[in-house]
Amino acid sequence: MTGTPRLLPVTDDVDTGGFFEAAARGELALRRCNGCDAVLHVPRAYCRACGSWEGRWEPVTPTGTVYSWSVVEHAVHPAFPAPYTVLLVELDDLPGTRLVGHLPGRPELRAGAPVIAWFEDVDGTVVPQWRLARS
Amino acid sequence: MATSHRDRCAIAGIGTTDFSRASGRSELTLVAQAALAALEDAGLTAQDVDGIVRCDMDNVRHNDLVDVLGIPQLTYWSEVGPGGVAPPGMVAQAVAAILSGQATTVLVFRGLNGRSGRRFGQSALSEQRVGGAGSYDELFAPYGLVTPGQIFALMARRHMLEFGTTEEQLGAIATTCRARANDNPAAQMHAKTLSMDDYLGARLIADPLRLFDFCLETDGACAVVVTTVERARDLRQPPAVIRAVAQASTADPQPGIQFPTLFRESITSLPATAVSKVLYERAGLGPEDIDVAQLYDCFTITVLMQLEDWGFCEKGEGGAFAASGAIGLGGSLPINTGGGHLSEGYVHGMNHVLEGVRQIRGSSTSQVPGAETCLVTATPLPPGSGLILVADR
Repeated sequence: MTGTPRLLPVTDDVDTGGFFEAAARGELALRRCNGCDAVLHVPRAYCRACGSWEGRWEPVTPTGTVYSWSVVEHAVHPAFPAPYTVLLVELDDLPGTRLVGHLPGRPELRAGAPVIAWFEDVDGTVVPQWRLARS
Repeated sequence: MATSHRDRCAIAGIGTTDFSRASGRSELTLVAQAALAALEDAGLTAQDVDGIVRCDMDNVRHNDLVDVLGIPQLTYWSEVGPGGVAPPGMVAQAVAAILSGQATTVLVFRGLNGRSGRRFGQSALSEQRVGGAGSYDELFAPYGLVTPGQIFALMARRHMLEFGTTEEQLGAIATTCRARANDNPAAQMHAKTLSMDDYLGARLIADPLRLFDFCLETDGACAVVVTTVERARDLRQPPAVIRAVAQASTADPQPGIQFPTLFRESITSLPATAVSKVLYERAGLGPEDIDVAQLYDCFTITVLMQLEDWGFCEKGEGGAFAASGAIGLGGSLPINTGGGHLSEGYVHGMNHVLEGVRQIRGSSTSQVPGAETCLVTATPLPPGSGLILVADR
């Protein structure tokens, strides 16, 4: 990612903070229900499947595939000069579960292209990012 | 399921301001003008109004209108949202208020300075840190995913991957809506034609979506007056009978308003799948009974998916259906006959309700001959709403 100023996430939200705490440890983690192991995504406290309020942040393999993408050619925020690419990534460990990513410029992409997560530290705020795997 | 509201209420009056890029008026003035025009159209005055329904994103509130218009007393008010899913749902609230005895004459409105005031296409994020407090923006905005157009671009790409949908098929929707606007002197794009070459030659905004896949930015307001069918028959205009209204959610809408919708099981369909089922059942009608439709068109891809999700064609065939000419005047399902949000103006779903009434009255600038049923949808990303208007028989 290039460009300043950066748009950084709130990392201490009660429901989503664990995602960024895991990222700071170098892990990609999703919220899972302790009662039935359901994936709670986007993260929330209550499991509608089993009624449990108990959950955990469970690491997943930091790999996925490209589910969809868009090359943004019209900039709408000063932190993101065009062109850049927004990715929708499907996680290898949890098919059907997705995260968002960002790639600079206009990379050559195809559906199903493998991607690997990496962890970007911006002045102490760690954000999971994705890059194309050269397989 | 018994539908006790079927054919019992009607839209008796419609009113609109001009649509422009710079109204030079406050949103309160715009809404007051549209409201007075709707009352005048019905042959009513502010003295007759006892209910108001607004959109949750409107800056004008019920008490503003009570004071400015001189409404003696409201006995009912409510709001529907979020944003663009509201208008048929707002009419539904009016119907509920009337049939439950809480009001007799309900004003439903939406007004915004959508170009000269706050612009929807701009990211509202001004902080360096984003998200939290249930917004879930922290999972999206740090990656540059900051506008609805970018969400729909990801959905359009996925639709292309799954079904082979093409840019030209999206372009058929843009050019069809433009042709209707060219017939409508009130449309913002009335004087500007749009060919497929123009469409394909326009700059990309968020690929695969181009400039003309995006709706307009509009300053303007629209209002309607809802009352009982019996009363509407005594008023100035022929009633546009409200056959049925519906709001409906899916089982996995995702929290928030828009960005988390990208984590739904499918991003190539919309909650229109749920709204259509409930509305058709309540109306006792199906897609084959619809003479003309006003489909919520924040983007062309939104229309394409609704053609499928409202049952006008099979899932995946929305592009071919649009490109076949079916959605044009003279086709099996003429759509957005005033030009829609893509080419008439973007009054956040509300101008579609007015155009639906015109079709039932026979007064549209792109009139579908003999139209007796008109579907109006507001089913973009969040759980939405829809209504079916019919002629008084």
